[in-house]
This record gives sequence, structure tokens and C-alpha cells, in this order.
Amino acid sequence: MLKMQNIRKSYRTDTIETHALRDFSLEVNEGEFVSVTGPSGSGKTTFLNIAGLLETPTGGQYLLDGQEVGNLSDSERSRLRNEKIGFIFQGFNLIPDLNLFDNIDVPLRYRGFNAKERRRRIEKSLEQVGLSARAKHLPAQLSGGQQQRVAIARALAGEPRFLLADEPTGNLDSLMARQVMELLEFINEWGTTIVMVTHDPDLARRAQRNIQIVDGQVSDLRQTIAQPEAAIA
Amino acid sequence: MFEIKPMLSALWRNKISALLIAVQIALTLAIVSNSVTIIQERQQKIDRPTGIDVENLIGITFMPVPTEYDMAGAVVADLDLLRSMPGVIDASVTNQLPLSGSGSASGYFLEPNQEIGDLTANYYHTDPHFINTLGMKLVAGRNFREDEMKILGAHDNQISDVAIVTQQFADSAFPEESALGKYLYSGRDDHPTKIIGIVDRHLGAWPSWNLAGNVVFNPMLITGNHKRYLVRTEPGQRDAVFKQLEDKLAERDPQRVIHVETTEENKRQSYSGDNLMIKMLSVVVGLLTFIVALGIVGLTTFWINQRTKQIGIRRALGASRSNISRYFLVENSIIAVTGLTLGGTAALIINEAIANNFSQPPLSLSLLIGCAIVLLVVSLTAALVPALRAANISPATATRSV
Repeated sequence: MLKMQNIRKSYRTDTIETHALRDFSLEVNEGEFVSVTGPSGSGKTTFLNIAGLLETPTGGQYLLDGQEVGNLSDSERSRLRNEKIGFIFQGFNLIPDLNLFDNIDVPLRYRGFNAKERRRRIEKSLEQVGLSARAKHLPAQLSGGQQQRVAIARALAGEPRFLLADEPTGNLDSLMARQVMELLEFINEWGTTIVMVTHDPDLARRAQRNIQIVDGQVSDLRQTIAQPEAAIA
Repeated sequence: MFEIKPMLSALWRNKISALLIAVQIALTLAIVSNSVTIIQERQQKIDRPTGIDVENLIGITFMPVPTEYDMAGAVVADLDLLRSMPGVIDASVTNQLPLSGSGSASGYFLEPNQEIGDLTANYYHTDPHFINTLGMKLVAGRNFREDEMKILGAHDNQISDVAIVTQQFADSAFPEESALGKYLYSGRDDHPTKIIGIVDRHLGAWPSWNLAGNVVFNPMLITGNHKRYLVRTEPGQRDAVFKQLEDKLAERDPQRVIHVETTEENKRQSYSGDNLMIKMLSVVVGLLTFIVALGIVGLTTFWINQRTKQIGIRRALGASRSNISRYFLVENSIIAVTGLTLGGTAALIINEAIANNFSQPPLSLSLLIGCAIVLLVVSLTAALVPALRAANISPATATRSV
């Protein structure tokens, strides 16, 4: 599904060049649930941005679904993001001026679906996250957990094959975090590949595989599903 | 595709700033369309054909110093002198100078001894050379003959036996038939003045008069205390002749005060108010359009800065650069069209008031639509730069915490 080989990403100012990722190589298989952990500034978000086609790498090769995406034009990258990738952000990133229905509608409009198809997908995804009755509510009228469920519904509505979650439970209390995590596991069971960046070791352990990034490189690849909890803690 | 519904609901939640810009656009359209109507009307007035050779005409006014003065003899001698000067096509005596803002008018009746129902016209006392001197075109009938010239004192009954009129006056006096051969009367009098000729057009002394174009020419010399001449020069000779005129006339008879002026300058002065109005309104139109454009640039930039994160989210969710710039252009169009609809209504109401109270021309629908289209293009152009800037916001903004 995702294959990165020797990916490099550096940011350059007039005086300083910062290497966010260095010879970063990783492969995520179809249907996997991978958690990504690492200290602040280690390069987790840069990895997520590159994986989600939000940024282009400085060097290396990135194959998404077998397609080399490093040299795609901006509009081709936008189309791929829209069709293949779903995003769940730490801060929910809902558009505050739009109600839940219209928020979920945003990526579907860019996809070019007709109104009937969009409505069908929106209603289905709201039902999946248990918020059908709140379709006309504004994000500000919902709790944090509900907002994150809307964000998940927005990601699901496009039926992506690849879901990227950036600290999806970072702004939630433990109960809501558990609900969101269960929802992600449920989505993964349908066959959606999930890569989740998190600081929470408990959540990281629930993924099938945990990757640790330190100083812009993969430092450890562990099959969390096959190892006892004590070994990871 | 254009996200109109979500855009409207987003605008509704930011309605104050959107409404302010819409009102600004509305006021601009109302003022600009009415200003352009006035500018157009004034420009059309200035551009009207005068019917005379404005560029090559010189007017002369003189007043003799002696109280006892042979005015008739002086006029004959002066005209002989003027017509003999190199570069002069013809010269004529007149009681007024065309387009000068100074002249005489009288009421004309179609029946003898009539007291009401007259037609007002600007009138000339002139001679058989006037058609050639002014460069007018005789479209019907004939010119005056020398034997039809009357020499009268200032207190005589100044009625001529024959007259030449402009086509405009002929049409208003005799709309159903040719004016040629018909008679005019001066009111409470039964002396007929026969119309022997019609010239195509002449605006007379006052181009801003609402009856400008109603002109009657009489073959007459009134021996009053001052006299005027008109001199027509060959093309390109006007300034050279102009320089000599005062000296030549003074040389022939130094006992008088002479003033020389060009008809072109008189025309310019006659229309100076209109030209000033055009310039002022053009500045107002330009300034208002510039201010509305600045307002749109400011508001769009403000909204884009306010929604940087949102733009990043949209980009992350699959919006292309063109989706983002189109979003802001469509959003701006919604505000502009709202403003233009309000402004169109306001423009028609304002124009109704101006037309009724200040005799201004009515605002045409085509001009209103034209102004609205121009303002729409201006608002879209103003929104274009910030909208293109918004399109360059990185999708990675969505994952940044600030």
C-alpha cells in the first residue's frame, strides 16, 4: 500500500538546514493498522505530511498503491489525496462555519459526485459514527469526541483505502479516546489501511505494528500484536 | 461544484463584513451609473455638431469712441478691409457671436397680431455673407440679396421682410409641412417676415440653452453703439489672421475700442461648466471604483488570513489550487452580485429623483447593466490576487498546530 525508500526531507532557511527525515524507509501493507510514535520533533508529522501527499520529499522514492507519487503535479496530488487518502487530525479540523452535513460534503464535492450520491455517502457515514441526528448542527455545538467522530465520518465518506490519523485522540478525554480508537479499529476491520501518529503508548500498542521515529529515521519496528505488553511498556 | 449553499451559510455567519462590502458596491453602482449618465449627456452635448466652421472663425467686437459715428459707413469699410485680407474666406456683420454665451432671443408667431403661443428663437442681424462666413449649409431656399438688407437705428421697429431659419426651428414651427415660403410675425403686429431659406443647423449664441438650435437670421444692420463682425479664415490661417486683425482695423479707424476672440475659445468657455462637471464626475467614478476595489482586496485578504487553516484543510481534503481560488472568486461574486442588485435598484430610485428635480437624463437599463458588469469585473479582479495567494497555501497547514 505504502512504500517509502530513503525518503529525505529538509527545510532550509537562509542560515540553517534542518533534516526532518533522513533515509527514511518504511513499508505498510494493505489492511494494516500501524501506529507511529516518537518524541516531539522526531519527524512524525513530516512523515505523515509526506505519506498523505501534503508535502513533497526532498529525495527518495515514495510509492502509494504501487504508483510513484514523488513527481506528481499539485493537481494530481490533490486528486490522489481526495480519492485514496482519508485524514483525521488532532484538532479535528472541521470548518466552523459549516454544519456537519456540509463539513462531510467538502471532500465529496471535490471528488465530483452528484448531489444524490453525496447525500447517500454523508448520511451513511454519519450513521456509522452515530451522529445522524446532528447533521444540521455546527461543530461548536458538539463535544470534542463528537467532533472527532464527525472528522472520521468526513474521512470515511470518501471510502478511502488509506487513512492517516494525526494524534486522533490527543484532544480527548480517556473515555472518548477509547471510543474513537474502537471506531478506528472497526474501520480497519473493513480493510482500510490505517497509519496513526500518537504519543499515547497504550493506543500505539493497540495497532498491529508500531514504528518509532527518532531523529527523522525509523528506529524500531515492532509487531505489537505478537509481543507481550510488558515488552513494549 | 461551486459550493454555493455552504458558501452562503458561511457568508451568513460572517454577514456584517460581507454586507458592508455589498452596501459599498451598491452605493458605488448607484453613484457611478448616475454619474456616467450625466457624463454621457454632457459629452453628447459638447460633441453635438455646431453646424459652423468653429476652428476657423474669429469674432470681433468694436465700440467707437466718438458719440457721433457713421456706423453704417464704418461697417461697409471694415467688411471690405476684412474680406480683402490674405487668408480670409469671408466676413460678415452680426449682432452676436456664435457659441459666445451672449446674444438675443425673440418670440415668433405664425399668425399676425397673435399674443400667445410664440416660438422662441435666438436671432441674428446679419448680411448675405453670413452663410459663407459661418460655413453653414443652405438646405432649402435661397440666401439673402443685398437689396433685402435693412439699415435701422437702435430705436426703429426691427422687423425684416425676409428671414432664414435653422431646420430645427422650421420643423418646430411647421412640423407638418415645409417652412419655406411661410411667414413669421413678431407678435401684436401684422408685418410678415417670409422664410426664404433654411440652413441645416446652428446652435446660436447659447449652446447650453434648452432651445439651442432654434435660430432665425435677419438681413439687417442696426446702427447702435457697438458692432460685431465674424471672419472666417482658410484652414490653418486663423492664428495668423487673428494677430493682424486688431491692428488692421485700428489702422483704418483708430477711434474705437476693438476686441478680437476666436469662436473656438468661445465654444470652450461655453462648455467649461460641462467639461468641469465631466472631469469632476470622472474623478468621483474613478475614486469610488478604486475604493471599492481596495475594500474587496482588504476584505478578501482579511478572510484569507482568517481562514488560512481552513484553506489548508480543504487542500488536505483534496481541493486543488484552482478549487481554492475559485472558492474565493465565487464568494466574492456572490457579495458583488448582491451589492449590484441592491445598487441597481438604488440607482434607478436616485435617477428618478435627479431626473424629476434637476432635469437630468433618465438612466438607461443598458448603461446600468454596463456599469454593473464593469464593477463586477473590477471586484473579481480585486479579489483575484488574494485568491491566487490563497491557492498557494500549503495543504500541510492542516497538520500544523498553529
